[in-house]
Amino acid sequence: MAAAAAAKVQEVREITRIERIGAHSHIRGLGLDDSLEARQVSQGMVGQLSARRAVGIVLQMVREGRIAGRAVLLAGQPGTGKTAIATALAAALGIDTPFTSMAGSEIYSLEMGKTEALTQAIRKSIGVRIKEESEIIEGEVVEVQIERPATGVGSKVGKLILKTTDMETVYDLGGKMIDSIMKEKVQAGDVITIDKATGKISRLGRSFTRARDYDATGQQTRFVQCPEGELQKRKEVVHTVTLHEIDVINSRTHGFLALFSGDTGEIKAEVREQINGKVAEWREEGKAEIIPGVLFIDEVHMLDIECFSFLNRALENEMSPIVIMATNRGITRIRGTNYKSPHGIPLDLLDRMIIVPTVPYNEKELKEILSIRCEEEDCQMSDDALVVLTRICTETSLRYAIQLITTSSLIARKRKAVEVGVEDVKRAYTLFLDEARSIQYLREYQKEFMFDETDEPAEMDVS
Amino acid sequence: MLIMEKDWITLLKNAKKTCISQNNLRKVHYELEDGQEMVEEYNMDTEVLTRRAWRKKSKIKSNDEWDIEIGDPEPKLAENESLIIQENSNQPFITKRITKKNIEWRIRNLSYPIETYNVTADSTKNKIIVSTSNKKYYKEISIPELKRVNLLPEQSSLCISHKFNTLIITYKKPNKFLELENIIFEEVKKLVPKNDGVGDCKQS
Repeated sequence: MAAAAAAKVQEVREITRIERIGAHSHIRGLGLDDSLEARQVSQGMVGQLSARRAVGIVLQMVREGRIAGRAVLLAGQPGTGKTAIATALAAALGIDTPFTSMAGSEIYSLEMGKTEALTQAIRKSIGVRIKEESEIIEGEVVEVQIERPATGVGSKVGKLILKTTDMETVYDLGGKMIDSIMKEKVQAGDVITIDKATGKISRLGRSFTRARDYDATGQQTRFVQCPEGELQKRKEVVHTVTLHEIDVINSRTHGFLALFSGDTGEIKAEVREQINGKVAEWREEGKAEIIPGVLFIDEVHMLDIECFSFLNRALENEMSPIVIMATNRGITRIRGTNYKSPHGIPLDLLDRMIIVPTVPYNEKELKEILSIRCEEEDCQMSDDALVVLTRICTETSLRYAIQLITTSSLIARKRKAVEVGVEDVKRAYTLFLDEARSIQYLREYQKEFMFDETDEPAEMDVS
Repeated sequence: MLIMEKDWITLLKNAKKTCISQNNLRKVHYELEDGQEMVEEYNMDTEVLTRRAWRKKSKIKSNDEWDIEIGDPEPKLAENESLIIQENSNQPFITKRITKKNIEWRIRNLSYPIETYNVTADSTKNKIIVSTSNKKYYKEISIPELKRVNLLPEQSSLCISHKFNTLIITYKKPNKFLELENIIFEEVKKLVPKNDGVGDCKQS
């Protein structure tokens, strides 16, 4: 009994972990109207009208899915919403279009080569929709039991009891399945289907017999009949997988060699070629459909000259996705060379790109963003405080001002106030230095710090 | 399982066949014209088909799974990392075997008394339907053998018994099917095994 209760607590904790607030979790879409014109404030996006409209057109291009291997560069100063626009694009594309987001520095790893990491990222961004007859389990959940070992180490053990109007079966669950059941918050009374091969769960609704369980149910709660007949059925289902996933499944080494190769690692070129051939074959037979997605590379100036020339070549492949890159650099050195180039990107690659600039926000837009963030971070702020915060924002930076929202709201909570007032913001402002004040402080007290080297100013080397 | 609209005999006759024999067993591998792969195992002493399996073709996964039509299922390997979802081992499972006169299904791990079960031959669905009055088990069993000779299942050929936690369903083979089996067995007899006598790993 105690073990079961402990499992429950853990379950709740894991669910809340998913709903944390990130830097861009307020963004739900690009905020465009039907004619792809950007609305001033919509879906969490503010201002940046021309950039959003441009990305809206790119979105249209991705949706049509005919153009392969185009590159788009989002260029702009820090804190002008480049990553926000990319996040918005991902949200607008929906879950069925693959969207891979990576930072430029992610490719440097000891486990695989730079080009391997880039190839994997490119192949993660291309989806294949395959129709296949598959074993489907469809039934009403009677009970979910998840137990973790008392020692805390080792894998979780799970059981799932499902029923139809005619039968009832107990299933054993693997580790991945337990995770996805927790993530989907599957509970007794839900009617679900599980794809036996991939373990994908989809919730059909709640069983009618459970309709009286609660007085209040959410608006989205859909009630369905308990399925009839056998639990396990063969059905034609549509899988959407990425090319990278097919690569991984087919490249797994069998036998004892599997012990030495890690989960990912490098995938042989022959495997990829074979899969490309297979996919092309299915496409011709009408069995599969290719969905080109989007690869987003943030901080693209962190790539070096080898990666850029690899990208040059990769973009020419007809299987390549739309690549969106973002950078906040001006004319700077290309990593791996001594040449300087705009955005730290070689001119030949720049020539292949269309460049979308983002511009600094004006005061009105900043205020709008801050109020959206206040709402997202669940913080009541008085109008005066918001004006003060906007003022701080124009003088320091947007990121610093956003940092002050939660900190000042915590200060306000300490004095048991309902909303954040001007004095709370001021207090947070004095407690936490922004970049400019920190530099000034360093200049004044330089002598008292260790390794003082103000006499010979070294230029920051980022490459 | 698999529906054969085409004439079963011509399908097997035209297939590319490879045959090996081990002791009294003769194993035949068929590559059918429609790209499917099938393996049969005959006991040459009793002249009965003991196993038949179809290769599962999956587009995403590499192919290494078999669909067992007749005979015992492949022993399951110890639980590994890749387990997604699977029936618990105390849940009922069905196996099928062929004897001289009957087709037999055994559903193991069914502990309810025999009155619980209701086994009917459903000619509209072309299946045998097993249901339980306590709503714990339900199964629609398709009979590819009957489909191959274009017959519908008949209630009069069915009989059930229950012992040792196992429900045994026996279906008397119709004459038309017995004839078909004989023709195919003659074909199998004609095949020349590739490793007659040699190739056995004899340890000194």
